[in-house]
Amino acid sequence: MLVGLWLIAGGTAAGFFGSLLGLGGGTLIVPLLTLVFDLPLLTAVGVSLVCVVVTSGASAGVFLERHVANLRLGMTLELFTATGALVGGLVAFLLPEQALEILFSGLLIYTSITMARRGRAAGDTHGGPEEETLVAEPGDDQFFDANLSGPTYRVRNIPFGAAGSVGAGVVSALLGIGGGIVKVPVMNIVMGVPLRVATATSNLMMGITASAGAIIYLSRGLIDPYVTSPTALGVFVGASIGSRVAHRIDVRILRGLFIVILLYTAFQMLLRAFT
Amino acid sequence: MTAGSHRAPPADLDRLIGRLLTIGTYASILLIAIGTVLMFASRIDPLAGGPPFEPGLIVDDIAHGRPAGFIWLGLLVLLATPIARVIVSFFGYSARGERTMAIVSVLILVVIAASIALGNAGA
Repeated sequence: MLVGLWLIAGGTAAGFFGSLLGLGGGTLIVPLLTLVFDLPLLTAVGVSLVCVVVTSGASAGVFLERHVANLRLGMTLELFTATGALVGGLVAFLLPEQALEILFSGLLIYTSITMARRGRAAGDTHGGPEEETLVAEPGDDQFFDANLSGPTYRVRNIPFGAAGSVGAGVVSALLGIGGGIVKVPVMNIVMGVPLRVATATSNLMMGITASAGAIIYLSRGLIDPYVTSPTALGVFVGASIGSRVAHRIDVRILRGLFIVILLYTAFQMLLRAFT
Repeated sequence: MTAGSHRAPPADLDRLIGRLLTIGTYASILLIAIGTVLMFASRIDPLAGGPPFEPGLIVDDIAHGRPAGFIWLGLLVLLATPIARVIVSFFGYSARGERTMAIVSVLILVVIAASIALGNAGA
């Protein structure tokens, strides 16, 4: 029972800090399960994908009811993320665990660099729009203009967004993450979607993306119910608390601390890969 | 030309799907929580390796109060919730005459079906 309680505690911490720092659960859960509980990487990725569906379902429902997430845009792009997840889920079983560990280390280093940049420019919008009306450009597609844009913004560069979404889906199913670290900048900087809408829409898309990946892991017997249940429960509780207290917490110091933790975890993951 | 020509957001569909996601997620978490409590009560070591996924055993496991049945059902409800969202979207967009979005919904379901088929093929 003690191990189960530790899994709940670990999941709660991952969900709490993930929601405060905008990391999503997966980035923290996979290292937790592999480095602390010594589980195989693919088992950890399977558990993590389930946790991503939990956090997506809980938050995306609220985002949709408040009309923050763009359902049409989310569904159009998730066709590509789900396709990417299908490919990533199949490729994950062909790669040696060592390769996945090296890839995950790379993800952690990339995430810490992204966090450091975000910290340097507090309130930064990644260079993309926050909330504004954008004008159409010659050659813009009428279907997408009419259907995918919002009342205060205009979506552009759909093909690039679709390509980025395939990449986000592949990474999601390979490494057990939501893929927001790819999708949000693509939607915000490249497609002109306001940051708030991009974050909410990315959250919505994670549900289908992670489900597509998790189904493959489930079919291949890599979702362990007894590891998944306490971890997912913890993530749900942690993410719920995190989203309620986020506005009261100054995350600047926390962000600095987590950059160090992520880099240390990347180092540990590399050590695991090469020993 | 401004973005003023955009189509109005499908407010009712947004609300319906939002409600569906919330209810599905909470229902799955409730089932997973029951399974976790039963797992603790049965003094099962989570790291010892859980039972494989066998859909045919879920009802029997639940009837006998076994934790695995509740957890597997919770996980199935969880993974089915986003898929149900796409199915509801298909009907919602079809009813509104938005053919392109209805086709997008069907294509997403085809990808999910491919995940199930290819996942099982390699199992």
